[in-house]
Amino acid sequence: MKRIDSLIDFISGRNFRKGWHVFIIAFFLIFVILPTVYVLTYAYTEWDAIESGVLGNKETMDIIMSAIAASFEIAAIVTVIDFAVGLPMAWMLVRKKFRGKNFVDTLIDMPLAVPTAALGFSSAIFWATTPGAMDAPPFAFGAITSPMLLIILLHIVFSYPYMVRSLSAILEQIDETYEIAGQTLGASKLTAVRTITLPLFRAGLITGIILCFSRSLSETGGTMIALATMANSAGFNTGPTLIGTWKRLSETNPDLVPQLAFVSILLIVVALVLLIVLKLVVMKVRLPMGKVWPTPEKILSRGLVPKLKDGSAVFFLALFILIPSFFIFSYVLTSSASLGDWGPFMSSLGYSFAIAAIVTAIDLGLGIPLAMYISRSGSKRISHSLDVLVNVPLIVPTAALGFSLGQFWTDQSLVPSVPTLLIIMAHVAFTYPLVVRNVAGAVEEIDPSYEETARTLGAKPIQGFRRVLYPMIKSSILAGAIMAFTRSLGETGATQAVVADVVTAPVYIVDLVSSNQFYLAGLACIILIVVSYAAMLFLRYMTRKKRRVV
Amino acid sequence: MPDIRLEDVHKHYDGIKAADGLDFSVKDGEYVCLLGPTGAGKTTALRIIAGLIDPDSGRVLFDGEDVTAVEPEDRRAVLLSQTYSLFPQMTVAENILFGPIIRNWPEEARNKTLANMLDMVRLTRRSDAYPRELSGGMQQRTALARALASGAQVLLLDEPLRALDARLRISLRHDLRSLAKSLKITTIHVTHDQDEALVMADRIAVIRNGRVLQMDTPMEVFDRPVSPFVANFVGQSNFFQGSVVRANGNVEVRDEQGRAVFARAMEVEMGEKVVVGIKVGNTEITKEWEGYLQGVVERILFEGRNLFIDVMVSGLGRFSSRMPAGKKGEFAVGDKVSIRWAPDKATVFTMRDRSLDDELRVE
Repeated sequence: MKRIDSLIDFISGRNFRKGWHVFIIAFFLIFVILPTVYVLTYAYTEWDAIESGVLGNKETMDIIMSAIAASFEIAAIVTVIDFAVGLPMAWMLVRKKFRGKNFVDTLIDMPLAVPTAALGFSSAIFWATTPGAMDAPPFAFGAITSPMLLIILLHIVFSYPYMVRSLSAILEQIDETYEIAGQTLGASKLTAVRTITLPLFRAGLITGIILCFSRSLSETGGTMIALATMANSAGFNTGPTLIGTWKRLSETNPDLVPQLAFVSILLIVVALVLLIVLKLVVMKVRLPMGKVWPTPEKILSRGLVPKLKDGSAVFFLALFILIPSFFIFSYVLTSSASLGDWGPFMSSLGYSFAIAAIVTAIDLGLGIPLAMYISRSGSKRISHSLDVLVNVPLIVPTAALGFSLGQFWTDQSLVPSVPTLLIIMAHVAFTYPLVVRNVAGAVEEIDPSYEETARTLGAKPIQGFRRVLYPMIKSSILAGAIMAFTRSLGETGATQAVVADVVTAPVYIVDLVSSNQFYLAGLACIILIVVSYAAMLFLRYMTRKKRRVV
Repeated sequence: MPDIRLEDVHKHYDGIKAADGLDFSVKDGEYVCLLGPTGAGKTTALRIIAGLIDPDSGRVLFDGEDVTAVEPEDRRAVLLSQTYSLFPQMTVAENILFGPIIRNWPEEARNKTLANMLDMVRLTRRSDAYPRELSGGMQQRTALARALASGAQVLLLDEPLRALDARLRISLRHDLRSLAKSLKITTIHVTHDQDEALVMADRIAVIRNGRVLQMDTPMEVFDRPVSPFVANFVGQSNFFQGSVVRANGNVEVRDEQGRAVFARAMEVEMGEKVVVGIKVGNTEITKEWEGYLQGVVERILFEGRNLFIDVMVSGLGRFSSRMPAGKKGEFAVGDKVSIRWAPDKATVFTMRDRSLDDELRVE
């Protein structure tokens, strides 16, 4: 007891706190931000290699350009569709009361818990024309022949929840009385919503767009699997899958490094520029919302149209999100068993879990203090710039981030290039912001007077956090932890880009599909899904148990 | 319980002077109100005393000992915020036990304190309730009990009555003060409500722009304000600007139109530009005799116990008078009336360079 007290005294000292803040910020800058954008220096130091190896080589340039263009096209189309179908759904969840609302609410989040590798496989079996060896169930849709269309359909599955969540979060904060006021002043429902509520939407819209766009731009594992599952998709690449493929080849062919660097730089730069443009454009441009068409809008506000809108929102959720997500179960049930060797998958699964657990622990241990610094103690200017920087790893495609980070640490040769260590650091880099964002957002909502009062009552800062603040933000910490955990578990692109030959569970599934072991891949996906859910439930249960019986 | 002293404390935020040479002391066991308009720096002063804000310069002393660098948890000065900040996830009892548990008191002492505190604030039967289940008054009592249970020697109250409804607010003034006085706790109470400060405080410190303008007993602050601002902020006042024409005995002040008024004796120079301030409650109006100023009744406001009558005096503006409601019916809008006051109720202020409007502005 005495020892704990003196430890608490020690870490509550002003000097320790100052040092701790410096350490936390330094960690964030050196281990998260710097490695993420390190590859940009290649444009400066290795320009000759890039010029001769990439720019001078027309064939390579064509491959790169078409992959990058495909990536951004897909991301843009996916984001637009997400918005168009996510808005009615968000509206229903926030403003309407109906039976089974909680159930629908839970369904929306389900794709988030499924690792994208499993989603990719599942969606591809459902939508795409598959090779005969695959033996897809006869009731699968099975008619998509365009790789691009397939990838769009896949990306919608896992980005849709982000859009719905962002929009409904902001919608909950917009007071319904504005619309009611508009309606009592003579506007029809649609006119009121369109001219009053929608313009207030921008903040949520930006979050939603950024999340969907960057998730789609980043996604590697699911995309690779979907392409491998599909018949005749050879030659189609997105930016991240190109990085994954080339990184593997570069193990034997070091000439590919400039090309890898070039693709990564392009992805990072274009993503960051788009982010800035988006923020400027959406916040500054006045949407032409003022114009009103009373009669048609009145007709659209009544009768069949709203019902049709809600019905189609639910229909979309079922057909385009849920069925593709879980189609894999029907595939494994209907096709004939052809079991192979389970050993490698189980060990890769164990490895993935160990990585995800360590990464989540690091995120929590070092992310919560940064979140506290951003939302509480920091000077305004520093915490504001940290707040902006935190978004960078979220925007940068993970494959490019992985490649950049791998180059950073091996170039510096400060750390021994142990693959596991590199993978952990790469996963920390892109999951860390998830924890920081969630926790900082929650802490900002809470009146600082609680902690201040606790301190004047005799609590040291750490005790005030533990006893007063922590119980209030526990659910946000949990949400951040679950996001970090599942993102790490499902991540393929960064893993492949940082170390070519380490086999995590999603990477292993990609390999299985590439070698046509479809049944085994299906089972592996199901195990991954089940285990992810179990881990989530366990995490929820753990935090619930700690709450005292009241 | 300690006495508290602030010595030349400065604190600036992005160009705003929240504390601009704060310098005052509070005696052991005294109940002091910091009174001032919104943004005057009252809360900043309180938070500096609590240790939640580090001043840019200056010292904070408890019992003569410099505590400027002492952490808030080691000062035994408990802050009660406007909303009480009761921890929502804890019951009344758990909230009260927060301090004793943090300070590692033995079990027995904890339970005894809890029982005493619950008894004192009359919440024994609600000890298992959560803060959201309590009325505003109960929440306030819980917060007080929590503060006292932690061994507080100084109570720092930031608008403690603001969140309550009007009637309760007035009835709790007495309870709060007598509790603090009976426990002999040094109390600093921030408020922008002058009535509250007048009723509750041993002494009032009137604060504006991060400085203490006047610190004195309620009676002195009310009757002998040091500046027109204090005169107007603590009990509304009427003002008359002019030059001194007689300075021995009661001061006579005359304006350019030759209207003359009288105020109590003060050291002023002949011919000096001055302002005479007179509380609305001391401003008499009548139709019977000739007063200092003549005007026309412009508006009559009936406020229950009191009657407010605004009189327009040509060239000077509006003069207000407060009188008992029993006088209702004696005046009507449009009546020609005369204004006067007892000279010893009026105060003369010398006006250096400031205009009266600047002086009276409440930011």
